[in-house]
Amino acid sequence: MSFFNDLVKIATTAEYRNYILQGFLNTLAITFIAVIIGLVLGFIVAIVKVFARTNKALAIPNAICNFYTTVFRGTPVALQLFIFVFALFAIPGFKVYAVILCFGINSGAYVSENIRAGIMSVDSGQMEAGTSLGLSEIKTMRKVIIPQAIKNVIPAIGNEIIALLKETAIISMIGSTVGTLTFDLNQASSTISYAISDFFAPSIIAALFYLIVVYIFTLLIKLIEKRLHKNDKHS
Amino acid sequence: MTNIVEIENVHKYFKNVEVLKGVSLSIKKGEKIVLIGASGSGKSTLLRCINRLEEPTYGEIYFNDKLISLVDPYEHIDFIQKSNTYKKYIDSGLSYEDAISKIKEERSLKLIKEGKEYKQAINKYISDNYMDITLARSKIGMVFQHFNLFNNLTVIENLILAPVELKLMTKEEAINKATSYLERIGLIDKKDEYPSKLSGGQQQRIAIIRSLCMNPDVMLFDEPTSALDPEMVGEVLSLMEELASSGLTMVIVTHEMAFARKIASKVVFIDSGVIQESGTPSEIFDSPKNPRLKDFLSKVI
Repeated sequence: MSFFNDLVKIATTAEYRNYILQGFLNTLAITFIAVIIGLVLGFIVAIVKVFARTNKALAIPNAICNFYTTVFRGTPVALQLFIFVFALFAIPGFKVYAVILCFGINSGAYVSENIRAGIMSVDSGQMEAGTSLGLSEIKTMRKVIIPQAIKNVIPAIGNEIIALLKETAIISMIGSTVGTLTFDLNQASSTISYAISDFFAPSIIAALFYLIVVYIFTLLIKLIEKRLHKNDKHS
Repeated sequence: MTNIVEIENVHKYFKNVEVLKGVSLSIKKGEKIVLIGASGSGKSTLLRCINRLEEPTYGEIYFNDKLISLVDPYEHIDFIQKSNTYKKYIDSGLSYEDAISKIKEERSLKLIKEGKEYKQAINKYISDNYMDITLARSKIGMVFQHFNLFNNLTVIENLILAPVELKLMTKEEAINKATSYLERIGLIDKKDEYPSKLSGGQQQRIAIIRSLCMNPDVMLFDEPTSALDPEMVGEVLSLMEELASSGLTMVIVTHEMAFARKIASKVVFIDSGVIQESGTPSEIFDSPKNPRLKDFLSKVI
C-alpha cells in the first residue's frame, strides 16, 4: 500500500524527518512564547477590568482594554496575522516575532475574559471579608481572590492553550519556508506532501504530533486541577 | 463614656430606593447594641455602612471621633455659609434660616461651583478629621451571615493573614494569639483544616475569632446565626455571649429575640429605613410604644 510505503519513506529519509522535527519544534516554540504573552497580557487586562468596576480612575485603561478584547475577539486570527506580518510589522527579519506577537496578543484577549470570569466567580463575600479586616483590595485580591480564581480558570486556560497550538497551523498562510523560524508543523507536512506527491501520510504524521502534544497537555491540566481541588471537596 | 462610633443622619439609596432615611446612632464603649426589624428594613445596610461595605449616600460616620465616611457638607452649617449658592441666596434677599434650609432641602451644593473658600473649608476638615477607611476597618470587626472564611487558606492561615499582612504582629505572635483563641473555642484540632471541611457553626466561630485576632474596638455581627442549622445556633450565640460579658463593644443584627433580650444594653428597632424606637431590652420587649414595633414583636415572639 502506498500509504505505508510513504510512511516508511518519510521515516527513513533524513530530510523529511528533519522537516517534521523542525516544524514540530517551531510550532511548540511559537505556541509557548505566545502563551506566555497571552497569559501576562490577559492577566493585566482582566485585573484592570475588575478594578475598573469600583475605581473611576481606571475608566480610560478600561476603555482601552475593552477595545482590545472586542477587536481581537471580533476578527479572524488569520486576518490579524496578515495585518501583523504584512502591514504593522513588515520589517525584514521580523516575521517570526510578528507571528508570535500576533498569536500572543490574540490569545491575551481570550485569556483576559477567562481570567475575568474566574475572578468574578469567586464569592463577593471573600473580598468583603478581606477588606473588612483592613486589608486593601489589592492585597485581598492577591492573597485570597486570585488563588481561588486560578482554580476556576485552569480548565478554560487549558482549552485556550490547546486552541492556540492548533491555530498556529495557519502560519503556513503567510508563507513559511524550510529553514526559517516560521516553518511550522503544518507547513512541514505540506512540504513533504508536495515532494512525494501524496498528502495522506504526511498529514497523518503531522496530525499525530499535534494530537500527542494536546493529549499530554490535557493530562497535565487534569493533574493540576486535581491537585488544586484536593482541599475543597465538600462533604 | 466615649462614643466609639457616631452615625450622623445617614441616608442610603440603592438606585432610586431610599433604604436608610436619615439614621443617627451613637455607640459607646462597651455597649451591646442589637438592631432588630423585619427583612428589608435597612438594619443590615446600616450595619454595613459602619465599616463602609456600603457607602452612605449622605450623612457622616465617625469612628473614634475621626471621620471615616465622605464629608457631607449639609451636616456643617459653616461650610454651607461659605458656599457661593448661600451667598447668592442671601443676596437675593432670603433670610439666614431660609437660605440654609433651602440649600439643605434642595441639596444644591456642587463642589466645583461653590468657590475657593468652600473648597478649602472642606479640604481642611478632611485633613483634620479624616481617618483612612482601611485603618478603621482593621479596628472594626465584622462577622458575616455566610461566614466568609477565606476558602483557599487553612483555619490558622485565615486567623493570621490580616494581623501579619498589616504588620500588627509578627507571625509567631499572631500564631500564638490565634492558637489561644482556638483553644478557647475548642477547635485547636481543626487548625490545619480548610473551611469547607468544617460545619457552619465551627466556621462562624472561627470567623468571630478571626475578627478578634485584630483586637477590634467594636465588632459588627450581620445576622451571624441566620445561615446556620438550628443545632449550631447555640454554640455561636454562647461564644457571642462570652464576648459580650468580656466587655467588647458589639453591634448585632439578629432575629434571635431571646438572645437580644439577654445580652443587649440597647435594642434599636428599625423599620422602613428609620429608627422607630430604641431603649433597654425591657423597654422594647415589655412595653413597646411604637405601633410598628408592637406589630413586629407580635409576629416574631
